[in-house]
Amino acid sequence: MLLIVRLKHTNHLPPPLSEAQVAGNSLIGACPSMDTRYSRQLLFAPIGKEGQKKLGASRVAIVGAGALGAVLANHMVRAGVGFVRIIDRDFVEPSNLQRQMLYDEEDAANHLPKAAAAAEKLKKVNSEVIIDPVIADVTAVNAEELLADCDLILDGTDNFAIRFLINDVAVKHNIPWVYGGAVSAKGMFATIRPHVTPCLRCLIPEPPSGGETCDTAGVIGPIIHIVASYQAVEGLKILVGDQKHRNPHLEHMEIWRNFHTRINLTDKKNPDCPACGKGVFEFLDLSGKEDTFTSLCGRNSVQISPTRDRHVNLDELMERFTPLGKVERNKFLLRFHVDNHYILVVFPNGRVVVQGTDDITIARSLYAKYIGA
Amino acid sequence: MITIKLFAAMAEEAGKETIEMTWQEGMTTEDVKRWLAEQYPSLASRIPAAMVAVNQEFAAFANPLQDGDEVAFIPPVSGG
Repeated sequence: MLLIVRLKHTNHLPPPLSEAQVAGNSLIGACPSMDTRYSRQLLFAPIGKEGQKKLGASRVAIVGAGALGAVLANHMVRAGVGFVRIIDRDFVEPSNLQRQMLYDEEDAANHLPKAAAAAEKLKKVNSEVIIDPVIADVTAVNAEELLADCDLILDGTDNFAIRFLINDVAVKHNIPWVYGGAVSAKGMFATIRPHVTPCLRCLIPEPPSGGETCDTAGVIGPIIHIVASYQAVEGLKILVGDQKHRNPHLEHMEIWRNFHTRINLTDKKNPDCPACGKGVFEFLDLSGKEDTFTSLCGRNSVQISPTRDRHVNLDELMERFTPLGKVERNKFLLRFHVDNHYILVVFPNGRVVVQGTDDITIARSLYAKYIGA
Repeated sequence: MITIKLFAAMAEEAGKETIEMTWQEGMTTEDVKRWLAEQYPSLASRIPAAMVAVNQEFAAFANPLQDGDEVAFIPPVSGG
């Protein structure tokens, strides 16, 4: 068993419609046929009927359902990709609403996990698509299980540690993926086709440490949509098999100061690249891995990701914590307020986010005290 | 002459977008990286993680350089 929470009701085909729903559908035509729903996309010659069939038979994994991920998921589900897995470790917060267009105030008030909230919204948009929401931190333990069964991986993440992990899975299993990043008014994207284009490790020799993040340098909504929409269109080209028109560049832009440039990636693989040159996948190497404590930069939070499976019974935990302080609970997580100073957010797979500190030592001791080492 | 172009946070850090450097026979992008880190110590920590392009084409490790080449350093964008 891996450290993954899957939402049962969306893991398979949608449940049968109730009589009321059927009656409603027949009245308002809520479930359009393929020709109607995709008519504008079918008229677009590079996709057409053949392309639409390919989209319907495709499986896409979107890693991260924050700002980029929400746009990516919207495009993939609306375009009719047959299976869309949405993976995210976070829950909706009020500061997300300025740019993460799948979420609303109710989601934030209810501390809903983004993957679950995104799936709920998108099921209403296109009930023909199988949406597989996964509430999990993508790690070396679960990355291959979550990504290797897909035809395409779209990057909606916000850090390079996870992008190097995606890159290792993509190269190892020969799956194309589209990198995207956005911060302040800057953005960047590139399509990585393993063994054809340079991979991420060819492009970036070392995972960058520090640098700007949305939580420290801010970000405006439009750059998110620009980058994610470029990623989405490159994804569609891959899924319909249009090699001729793929974008061979890494493009980067700064839309407030009106700057856009590109570098050509064609034929520039690094023969010494550990991943695509030598087949060494360091980021998937589990040897010596322990539970990780990660300070979430700029968010005054520390995340604890257990390496081994750790099933947590949230009901039991709620009983234990209630005499000790305020406890909030939804079906996905539990929030325990400690000393009016910290909040422990506990997920059923054992992952914990300690809010109110970026000090790993404090988080470690709270985790040991309340959750157990 | 080699023209070094800096982008995004690296340009902000250095206070300029373009820097000129004398070309020498046999020079590669690794020499440019070393020189840049010496001349602009505030960039040193960013150089290993920056993407390098020569004349707008991505350049892998130790790309040989000709007189007149443009070498760009592009720090990857992380957020999302």
